[in-house]
Amino acid sequence: VRRAAATALLAWLAAAPARAHEPALPPLGFEPPAPGTYTLHRIMRAPAGEVLDLQGRARPLTDFTHGRITVLGLVYTTCVDPEGCPLTLPVFEAIRTAVGERPHLRPHVRLVSLSFDPERDTPAAMRAYAGRRAQPHTSGVPWYFLTARSTRAARPLLDGFGQDARSVVLREGGGTRREISHILKVFLIDQDGYIREIYSSTSLHSRTVLNDIETLVAAR
Amino acid sequence: MRSQRIGRLGLALAILAAVGLPALAARADETCNSPYIAKLIKGQEDYVYVWALGVEGLGDGSDKLVTVDVNPKSKTYGTVLGSVSVGTRGEAHHMGLTDDRRFIWAGGLAEPKIYVFDIASDPARPKLVRTVADMAERTGYLGPHTYYALPGRMLVQALSNTRDKGGVTGMALYNNTGEFLASYAMPTDGGGDGYGYDLAVNPKKNVLLTSSFTGYANYMRPLGELVKDAEAMKKFGNTMVLWDLKAMKPRKVFAVPGAPLEIRWSPRAGDDWAITAAALTSKLWLVRQEQGEWQAREVGTIGDPARIPLPVDISITRDGRGLWVNTFMDGTTRYFDLSRPEAPKATYSKVTGKQVNMISQSWDGKRVYITSSLLASWDKTGADNEQFVRGFKWDGKDLTQVFEVDFTKEKLGRAHHMKLGARSLKSS
Repeated sequence: VRRAAATALLAWLAAAPARAHEPALPPLGFEPPAPGTYTLHRIMRAPAGEVLDLQGRARPLTDFTHGRITVLGLVYTTCVDPEGCPLTLPVFEAIRTAVGERPHLRPHVRLVSLSFDPERDTPAAMRAYAGRRAQPHTSGVPWYFLTARSTRAARPLLDGFGQDARSVVLREGGGTRREISHILKVFLIDQDGYIREIYSSTSLHSRTVLNDIETLVAAR
Repeated sequence: MRSQRIGRLGLALAILAAVGLPALAARADETCNSPYIAKLIKGQEDYVYVWALGVEGLGDGSDKLVTVDVNPKSKTYGTVLGSVSVGTRGEAHHMGLTDDRRFIWAGGLAEPKIYVFDIASDPARPKLVRTVADMAERTGYLGPHTYYALPGRMLVQALSNTRDKGGVTGMALYNNTGEFLASYAMPTDGGGDGYGYDLAVNPKKNVLLTSSFTGYANYMRPLGELVKDAEAMKKFGNTMVLWDLKAMKPRKVFAVPGAPLEIRWSPRAGDDWAITAAALTSKLWLVRQEQGEWQAREVGTIGDPARIPLPVDISITRDGRGLWVNTFMDGTTRYFDLSRPEAPKATYSKVTGKQVNMISQSWDGKRVYITSSLLASWDKTGADNEQFVRGFKWDGKDLTQVFEVDFTKEKLGRAHHMKLGARSLKSS
């Protein structure tokens, strides 16, 4: 079932550019509180460390967690759990589209997909994963795809985000497949590098993320 | 209306004091974890972690986390693998897993401290890695009870306060490393009594439900003394509160008389209802939306309320179609068919101990674990004061006991709350 769902999701993603203005995800099951009517606490600081961009250049992660409001998803590109990493793509697409339609938000937001499987997710693999998403977008919202130099280099970043990740080998059809057991975490980081919200697969939705971005911008 | 509720509650406690001792409850289970905990154990669990109250003169007399081997294929099946003492006795009560399932947060009702155990480095040998001791200073709350995982955070429901040690209390929010973030007072307006007990989240509806019990001044007193104090007898919770989860603001207060305790949202996809048991009235209550409006309705009776069976813990099946209920006074484990949650139907019962409190089930529902202790001063005495964790098999028709660990004989204390563990959850 999960395989089928993942296949359907990937098919949806392949068609995404043609449906840029269509609702990206199922409707939210509730009316969220209005932006600015609630508090987003400073949960913790986003970690610092070295990452690699799509050209394989070493960059400090702080380049991507300061100065703008950052929506950062920790992912790995071969994840097939429809409630895991693949979920971030349509949600990020929807956020980018929605922010692009709000000129007061546009200069303040960036998206980041950071791999926690650097052994497989090389810069070349990340380029293939990102496709056109990494290119300048009409919304003006940049979307960065990053990885790490090695598993060892990624570890302090994962620990800093509080992201668990455990390699497991699954037997399938006479062969084996390596997956990374983890829970999906997407982070909303303010301009000063503080994590202000953490979304899981049960709470990640473009409408709530957008409201949270509005809340942070209004508080500046 | 309120005086009637107080009257019933007082009568219930008076009867309890006369016939023996009363109860509290707790949170447990693989099927009853926070929805933000993704790494559920869906196969055979290897361990049951038991949070035990220290008993003076028994072992080191301190509260401790006990690890029991529950894998039938293990050579040490049904035995204690080890324990971690916290070095003090603070009325150990409940525990909660962090969202990444790497840590257990546990605490006692007699102190504003929270103990954090690492269960990922070696799931067979938990380690005490941190003590969070600033809750009273930060919030004024006392007696941390429920530890509920939110993404990267723990929401802690307290039972009391340091000012008057009554039942008016609130919740404290920490990040997973134990840094305090915020506090939220239980509402005292709009029908709210300010009391707290359990909390449970439905993220798909952006709602948080809380229930209510009583404060330190009551739950630490010997019952016989308590029931003679008319003023104290008025100080029990009669409400549940529905909160806007995102905003952490109360939306609606429900009148639910008789100390509503554990809250279980149905885990079944598409279900958006929760069930709870009111301890002193022995009633099941259902919370769900009706014509778009959240309502709480009494939907069933547990045993014979006139005999005060005292439901103290409930455990919902993974499909939301069955509910285990432990009643302390008669030591009975009951099963309710929840095919129609608006009309639960009792289908099975069995005496599983002279006193029973917590009940936890495996994800597949085939294994059920039961412990014995409520509160140090409320447990039964003499030969009725059994202290154990017992494992049972459930074949859909009958519970069959398969092992027991005698916590008194093992000098471990009073067995209270349980969480399941697995060797495969060892961190890499």
